[in-house]
Order: sequence, then C-alpha cells, then structure tokens
Amino acid sequence: MNKEAAYWIALAQLPRWGHLKLNKLIINFYHENKLSIEDFFHLPENDWKNQYALEYKDIEDLKKAKSELANFAFLAETMLNEGYELIPITTPEYSKTLKENLKAAHAPALLYVKGNKQIMHEESIAIVGSRNAAAKSLEFTDNIAQLASKQYKVIVSGFAKGVDKQALDSAINYKGQSIIVLPQGIMTFGSGFQKYYKQIVAGDVLVLSTFFPKAPWSAELAMARNPIIYGLASEIYVAESSDKGGTWSGVVDGLRKNRLIYVRKPDSNENNANNLLIQKGAIAVDFNGNPLTLYLPPSTQINQLNLREPAVDYENKILELLKTGAYTSKDIIKKLQLNWSEKELRNYLKGKKEVETINKKPLQYTIVDATKRQKTLFD
Amino acid sequence: MDRHEAERILQQTFLLSHFYDEQWETIEKILLGERVLLIEKTGFGKSLCFQFPAILHNGTTVIFSPLIALMRDQVKKLNSLGISAKCVNCEQSPEENSQIISDAKEGKIKILYIAPERQENSEWIEATRQMNLSMLVVDEAHCISVWGHDFRPAFRRIINLVNLLPKGLPVLATTATATKKVETDIARQMGGDLTIIRGNLMRDNFKLYVIRVNSDDEKLIWLGQNLEKLPGSGIIYTGTRVDTEIYSKWFEFLKVPSTGYNAGLDPESRIAIENGLMNNQWKCVISTNALGMGIDKPDIRFIIHTQIPQSPIHYYQEIGRAGRDNQTSYIILFYNPADKKLPESFIEGGRPAISKYEKLIEAVKSELLGERELIKKTNLKQAQFRVIKADLIEQKIIREVSFKKSKKFEYITGAQPLSTQAFEELRESKTRDLEKMIEYVETNQSRMKFLCDYLGDNSTHTFTNCDNTGLKKLVVSANDEWIKRLQDFREDYFPVLEVETKGTNLINGVAASYYGVSNVGNALHRCKYENGGDFPDFLLRLILKAYRKHFGQEKFDLILYVPPTKSGELVRNFAVKVSQTLKFPISHSLLKNRTTNEQKVFENAYLKSDNVKDAFVIITPDEVSGKTILLIDDIFDSGATIKEIGRYLSNLGAEKIAPLVIARTVGGDLV
Repeated sequence: MNKEAAYWIALAQLPRWGHLKLNKLIINFYHENKLSIEDFFHLPENDWKNQYALEYKDIEDLKKAKSELANFAFLAETMLNEGYELIPITTPEYSKTLKENLKAAHAPALLYVKGNKQIMHEESIAIVGSRNAAAKSLEFTDNIAQLASKQYKVIVSGFAKGVDKQALDSAINYKGQSIIVLPQGIMTFGSGFQKYYKQIVAGDVLVLSTFFPKAPWSAELAMARNPIIYGLASEIYVAESSDKGGTWSGVVDGLRKNRLIYVRKPDSNENNANNLLIQKGAIAVDFNGNPLTLYLPPSTQINQLNLREPAVDYENKILELLKTGAYTSKDIIKKLQLNWSEKELRNYLKGKKEVETINKKPLQYTIVDATKRQKTLFD
Repeated sequence: MDRHEAERILQQTFLLSHFYDEQWETIEKILLGERVLLIEKTGFGKSLCFQFPAILHNGTTVIFSPLIALMRDQVKKLNSLGISAKCVNCEQSPEENSQIISDAKEGKIKILYIAPERQENSEWIEATRQMNLSMLVVDEAHCISVWGHDFRPAFRRIINLVNLLPKGLPVLATTATATKKVETDIARQMGGDLTIIRGNLMRDNFKLYVIRVNSDDEKLIWLGQNLEKLPGSGIIYTGTRVDTEIYSKWFEFLKVPSTGYNAGLDPESRIAIENGLMNNQWKCVISTNALGMGIDKPDIRFIIHTQIPQSPIHYYQEIGRAGRDNQTSYIILFYNPADKKLPESFIEGGRPAISKYEKLIEAVKSELLGERELIKKTNLKQAQFRVIKADLIEQKIIREVSFKKSKKFEYITGAQPLSTQAFEELRESKTRDLEKMIEYVETNQSRMKFLCDYLGDNSTHTFTNCDNTGLKKLVVSANDEWIKRLQDFREDYFPVLEVETKGTNLINGVAASYYGVSNVGNALHRCKYENGGDFPDFLLRLILKAYRKHFGQEKFDLILYVPPTKSGELVRNFAVKVSQTLKFPISHSLLKNRTTNEQKVFENAYLKSDNVKDAFVIITPDEVSGKTILLIDDIFDSGATIKEIGRYLSNLGAEKIAPLVIARTVGGDLV
C-alpha cells in the first residue's frame, strides 16, 4: 500500500466531498471495477465522467488532487520515515469495528496511525464523559479501565481532559492497551509521542487520526473526532454527561441507532444528565459496569436537576424553527412561547454546534449550513 | 518533440549543436514521463539529460546530489546560460536557503539542486508540498546501494520518495560508476518500469601506472623528485587525514606549491581550496577522498594515490576526475604490500563489536533520546555511534524522528533482532573487492581493460594506455641526497594543536610529534605505563625544537602544566626542564579540585569534556591574571582538558594560553 500513499492522501483530501461520496467512489473503482487507486487516478477524464458519473466540479477536484500527487509523495515519505502508517479503508488493516459501526456514510477513507496497529482488531470499549467530570466519574472510569484491561479489552479515548485522559492513564497504569483518537493531525502530536514513547514501543498504545497530518487542533476537529471514538469501540461507557456537548449528542445519536450504551448510575446528589440518558434508553450500570436492568431513574430527581426540562423538546423545536430561517432570540421566544429570558436563550444557543450565529444587530440565529454541519454518528 | 526540433532548442539555449545518441535516447524517455537509469563515464554529459528536459517542463526539476561543489559549478553554468537554477545545501546560510525555497514555491526556479541531507529539513519538505514538481533526478545514484563504493544512508530516503512518486512523473538516476551488481541493486530499489542505459567506460586519454615501493619514504622521495615534472596540476589522494598533512608539509618543505584538503575543514576553506584548484593555484591538492567528487575541472592532469583504494570501483571513481577535457592525464598508484593493512582494517574494523550494537538498541528502547545523549549514555565513539545508527536504521530496528528542532531515535515496535548476516556478506564482498584491487596492481595485462571488465563494460577496445601495454614502468631511485632531505624534513615538522575558539584566550599550540607514527609514542608509553622513569631527553630536545618552529623567539610569562589524574611527576618534571631551558618561570599551583578519570577511558568528546568540566583550580589566581601562559602536557587527544583549562584561565584574566605537548594522537574523536 505504501506505493499508493500519495494517492490516498490526495483522495482523502478532496475538499468537501464527505465520507459517503468518497466511499461510494472507492467502492465503485476498487470493488466493482477492480481498479487500484493509482489506475483510477490515471484514467482519462472521460472515464471519470462517463463510467463514474462524476460531475464537472468533482473532476476539477480530482485533477487538482492529481496535480499535487508529487507533493503528497514528499509528505508521505516524511511520514513513513518517521514511523507513521497510512491505512486506507480498502485494506484488511483497517479496523473492522470502525467500518461496521460507521458504514460507508461515516467511515473515513484513510486512517493515519502510529504504534501497534494490531490493537485495532482487539475487542474494545470507549469510555467517554465530560472534560470537567466529578471525582466520582473519574473513579468509575478508572475502575472500568481496570476491568477492561484485565479482560484484554482495548480502551479507546479521545485525549481530552477529564474522563478521556483518565481512561488513558488508567489503561496504561493497569498495563492495558489503548487507542488515542486525536482531535488534530497526527504529525502535530510530537509531545504526546514523547510522553507515551515507552507504551508505544511496548505495543500498548496506538495513536490514530483521521485528519490531514499537519492539521492543528481545533474545536471543529475535536467534534469530528467523537464519532471515530464511538465507532472504534464495541461497547460505550459513559462516566458523566451534561445535557449538551459532544458526549450528550453522541449518546443520543447512538441510542437512536440502537447501540448499546452503558451509563454510570449517578448518586442521588449528583448534578448531571446521566439519569436523563438512562431515561432515554441507555443502560444504567454500577461502579463495576454491571447492568442495573431494574434501575429506574427517579423522576423527582430529574425534576430537581437544573435542566430546562424537557430540554430535548425545546431543542428540537428550536432547531426545527431555525431550519426555516434566521431569527433573533426575541423572535424565537415569541414564536415558541418559551418562558426563558433572552439572555438565557442566547447562552443556550451559543453552546449548540448546530446553530450558527449571524453577526447582525440584534444577533440572529440559524441552522448551520448542512454541508458544514458535523455529521452525527448514526445518521 | 523530434530530435531535430530538440537540437534546435539545444543550440539556442545550451549553445550545443547536437546530442549524443545515448543522451537523446534518455531525453526522449524522460519527456514521455518514464524512469531511466543512466550509467555513463565522467565527462559524457549526463547532466544535459536532465537539464534539457528541465527547461521544457512547466514546473521545477529537483536534483538530489551529494556533491555540493558540483552543484555550485552547475548552477553557475546554468545561470550563465540564462536558466534559473539554484542549490540548497548545508554550506549556505539558513536565510539563503529559505529564500531559494520560497522562490521555488513561486515557480521562479527551473532547476533546483538539493544535497540529500537537506531532505530532513522540514522547511524543505513543507515547500515541496507547494512546489510544482515536474521531474526528479538522483545524481550519483550508486549512493543508494550498499554494494557501491559510497553508500549514503540519506539516499535511502530518496529511494523511498521515488517509490512514492506518481506514475508519469519522470525520474532520472545517473552514475558513472556502477558494477553489474550495483546496477541491479539500483534498478530493484527504484522498482517498476525502469530503462537502463549504459555507455562504455573506457578512458583512453589516461596513462595508467603502478609504482611499487617498500616504504612511505620511497613515495615521498619519488614525489619529491618527480611531481614538478608532471604536466599541469592534479590531485594526490592519501589514505588518511594525517597523511594529507604530512604530504602537504613535505611539499611545503620542498617549496612545491600545494595544499591539504579533508572533510574536516570548514566550508569556507573547502570552497577556497576548490576554487584554488580550479585556478591552478597549486601544483597539487593533497586530499582524502572527500575532494573532487564532482569538481568540474576539465584539466586535472594527474591523479596520484599514495594508498591503495578499497576496490577498483573506488579507484575508477577517483581517477575519473582526471582529464575530462580528453587530454592526456597521468594516473599513478603507489603500492607497498604493507599498504593493504589500511583498507583491511577498514573492512575488518569497519563495524563495531556486536555488543556495542546491543548496547545502543537497549538505550534506544529504554528512552527517547538524541544523538548526543545516546553517545553519552553508551560511551560510544561518535564515529562508531554513527556506523551503528546507520546499520540499525537500515535494518529497521530504530528510526530517526524529528521533534520540533531536535532529532531523536525511536525503537521500532516489533523489530527483528539484529542480523549480522548482512554485515558478513558485506564484509566478504569488500574483501573480494580489495583482492580485485590488488589484482589490478599485480596484473601484467591492460589496466584499463581490467577496470572496464570489473565495471561490467564489455566493449572490445584495444587498450594501450598503461605501463603493461607499452608505457615505460616507473620506479623509485632513492639516493643519499633525497634520504637526507627527507630526514631533515622529519625533524622539522611538528603537528599544530588547533584549540583557538571564540570566548577563550587560547591560541593554537604545537606538538613534538604524532603519537604512533614515530618512536615518540613508544617512549611515552614506556614511561607512563611501564615504570620507565622520566621522559627521555630526546623528547625534551624535540619539544624545544617544536617550540622554536612554532613560536619562534616569543616569550611567555609563565609555564603551567596539566596536573596528573593519577599520582605521578612525569609531566611536572618534564615541565620543569622545559622551564629551565626556555628560562620562563614555572608555577605548580594548577591543581585538580576533584578526582577525574583518565581521559582515555572515555570514548567520545562529550564524556571527555564532562569528565574535566570545572575540575581545575589555581591556588593563586593573581599569578595568571594578565599573563601569557605556556601550558604543558604529555598527550593531546580530543583537546578537552586543554580547552577546559584554557577556559578557566581565560576567566581568571590570563591574556594568552598556548598549549605545548609531546604527542598528539591520530584520529581523536572529533566533535
């Protein structure tokens, strides 16, 4: 595959193609027409147009990518020399778990990894949760990581603060194996490679990224990374979730798509959205990850939560409304008859990744352009 | 484009009327986006095979070449033809290189030469991502083969790159020296569809001689008698750096204009010498094989080897630099049967002990470290470290990785254990090559034919250009006059100790001799390690002579000597005698304030300099302030001790510190 590295980087870099379109093309040339990626790139433009039904813009994108192949070859040489590996979706090295979970719609065409890539084929769990999780949640994370490590399960985490970092540290501590899914390009993770050198040498850590190798960290990439974490795992454990943000939306999505998601049963005095998730269908688990099938989250407790209950309904209503155009916070409150202050609503909207703020006076809100919108995991 | 049209452009741009057939054959393939390996002798015009297509292409042609001097020459030539060409190399300032890279990104450069080491520079990598690359050239392609005479690990990365390049991007690899085995190896590594074009390697303007001698003295004497009788100017290749110095001092003594050259010189000196060679400033340049690779001087009239090279391919490569103008050139090889010890020791000792490999592997495994830290941790010599490192990278056991500015070494997870089989094979192959070289010396057949056969050029010429085929044999006749002159030279030649640095008041000093190339080393060893008593008086006479030769009538305010590591008064007693003779006062107040180890325990300069750091103290600092000081020691190796004391005394206000030692070791670990 090394010979094809530049071609794969070029393909994965096609601007705004989206996973589905890319994967369909790959299926078309690789599986149906039995062409190598190299052969595909060197087809006459007419074949691209007629056989592959690519449009003018697509062909222009491909031509540009083709003209950059030599440049990507230089990049690939540096990467391979420094021990990074490129794993295209067509190879047996590509994680089957990831492919099955994300399917053609969301599976990235190319993985960049460094470390023991065999880990991708072991049984795996993800432990997720918020960046500022409470001590209780971190203890749970540690315990689950310990249990999983004992059972030789790989722990997938996202290298964020809080639960992610705890999951990784614990896995290392218990001599388990881990996959770090980066919110950035893999070549920008120098300090991490220094820090986890011993674990990587020992074959206990795999670092994985799906982004352009030199891309720096960004909030957008951090969000786009979440589906990969979920996708790489057969089981998902939630240590702690608030009622919004990456953990929340990931789990809500997962439940909708019937994935098994285990949520730590919160104590009665906890102020988080774990019970809410359990209510929505996640499976409550105890400190050791054992399912508590009989557990019912107390409704009183939910009412006590400092949530804008029922938030989900509001959320959906608001999003539906914003799909129809741009509105000020005043408009939204009026149209949906919310009993919120404008300030409250503005704060709420600020945290929503689906919502775009239009810089006018007064501020207006609308839904993020669908092409820019982050794909949810289980759409 | 047909040949006719191409030659019209050739005339316009390069002011040349036509291509040779093999040139056109190559260019045609390049223009079709194919890959070619071109094996042609020096002077054939290989560079035109990429320079011409380069000007037809839209983008930039990148040429990887290890030969900085050649790059400079070619760039100059191309620029004079109005073709925008530049080179990026480690001898230019970073600003200069950055500017060139940014010009290349903007498409302002047609032909860009890069020294492969440069490929590791991230700035360059970054730039290639934005450059419109139209063709890649690997010059001196034999450097990618371990079976060649000049394998360079940096070229391994270029091959990796070639294998990653897209189909349709033309790649040209060129070399003047490749045996069949090397040719096959290059072709295998470059993979895919590769056309090999091989020309004949015969150089009929050469006059090849072998002069048999019984000692180094005979070589010096023959050269003394005959060098000036040879036409024009040329190069003398010696086996070691020390020999370049001894031969150039000998010619200086004889007042023959010459200069020494080796890879240890700074870039300015090297450029100055290369320019001087071009301008016939000297009768000869005496060099290790670091010089000449790619110097584009058409009229090198003679090339003399004082030491038998490791193989016929080394030899062919080195003599290939003579007579590019196709005029008669003299190719002379001295051979003393004892000389094969040096290449034999390169072959036998070329690889460090396996235990040292294991030591380095363990060190890399346990921690992520850079070169300097690893050298300290393993107590390996720097040169050894580099050999081991290159082998371990080659065997995919470790890899070199950049972190921001620093380079570190990683163990490769799941690597195979060290294989010594590859070393054995290589050693056997090198032993066979050396035997072949000796066969060249001993053959009574045509020497040119011998070389062509060896290189896999089976063309059937008649070769009558050597001392076996019609030319008169050369022999040495050492008469008393010349034996006397050589002896006078020997007693008048003292190695310089180069210790001057910015930031201290050290100046260069002098040694009475090299350790190991005279009886001085033996005498020192007897006294130091076999209870042989005080240093003998002949050493005192010699060191005083060295002093006068180097310092003339200069006077020093004070003599200090390096305090011993173990108890012992040898250096003290010796320094006292020097002080009595030169009539400079001596002080005994320079002492060690802590125990140090003997420097010879340490294999590299990093540890040597750590060993003596802040280890010295002078009881009466007032004694040295504002003074000029002569600093005496017995053996000078890495110079770490002298430099440390020099630094210390400079801080105390000493105005000048000059080292004077009995012997200087050969091949100290240079950092």
